[in-house]
Amino acid sequence: MAAETGTEQEADREIVVSRIIDGPRTLVFDAFTDVKNLGVWWVPEGSRIITRTFDFRPGGIWDATIQRPGGSEFPNYIVWKEIAPPERIVWLYYGMGKDDPQPVQTTLTLAERGSATEATLRLVFGSKEQRDQAAQYGASKGAQQSLDALAAYVAGGR
Amino acid sequence: MARAATTSDAFNAVAEPHRRRILTLLKGRERPVNELARALRITQPRTSKHLRVLREVGLVRVREAGQQRLYGLDARGLRPVHSWVAGFEQLWGERLDRLNEYVKEQEKERSDGS
Repeated sequence: MAAETGTEQEADREIVVSRIIDGPRTLVFDAFTDVKNLGVWWVPEGSRIITRTFDFRPGGIWDATIQRPGGSEFPNYIVWKEIAPPERIVWLYYGMGKDDPQPVQTTLTLAERGSATEATLRLVFGSKEQRDQAAQYGASKGAQQSLDALAAYVAGGR
Repeated sequence: MARAATTSDAFNAVAEPHRRRILTLLKGRERPVNELARALRITQPRTSKHLRVLREVGLVRVREAGQQRLYGLDARGLRPVHSWVAGFEQLWGERLDRLNEYVKEQEKERSDGS
């Protein structure tokens, strides 16, 4: 089907993760709006996030560096695309840093579930290949365990 | 040594699809270069080039096994890319769990304060 070329179905290049968050929707939304709040939960305990720029508005960026306990650093570069309180935030995640040619579009949807909130994250990758690459490792338990074992081994100073 | 900045760290090294594919192939077991080239459907020299980049950043190591040189994953370089390799699914699963804890804490403080 020549007409389909280049436009893979979004379902083929997305990952969806959801959780019930035990609190009201506005509170969940607020967790994203302020770098002070994000700093509490965005990175695991032991890691640090150093923010250079945080501008929470459509087109604004969050430019930061994540420092992990071992001393390794990762870019945390995000461009906020859509902000619709209290139910939706859309951003582009540049996993390889600012110049990443294939940012991942991420949509957070918050739905009220009684006194709790259902948070659904939809990550749309540039291509099916890129999605599979990201999902493959995470989905494969064995791979994950061996990577964890390796990481622990390295952390143990061999 | 002036080396291209694009390949000098593990993150940039895995930005290239062939190199990510090599890591996936080496995840299960060690392989010689010709086998990797075949799986990638690219030439052996190109495969060697990618392997060199991966070795430079400590993601891949090589050992002599008789007549063959076998390439395998190297734990040293793995750590920096661990969270990337672990997959977004897990990253976000864990992140949402922490968000849940954070919100619960906020909610508690709010009700305690009122």
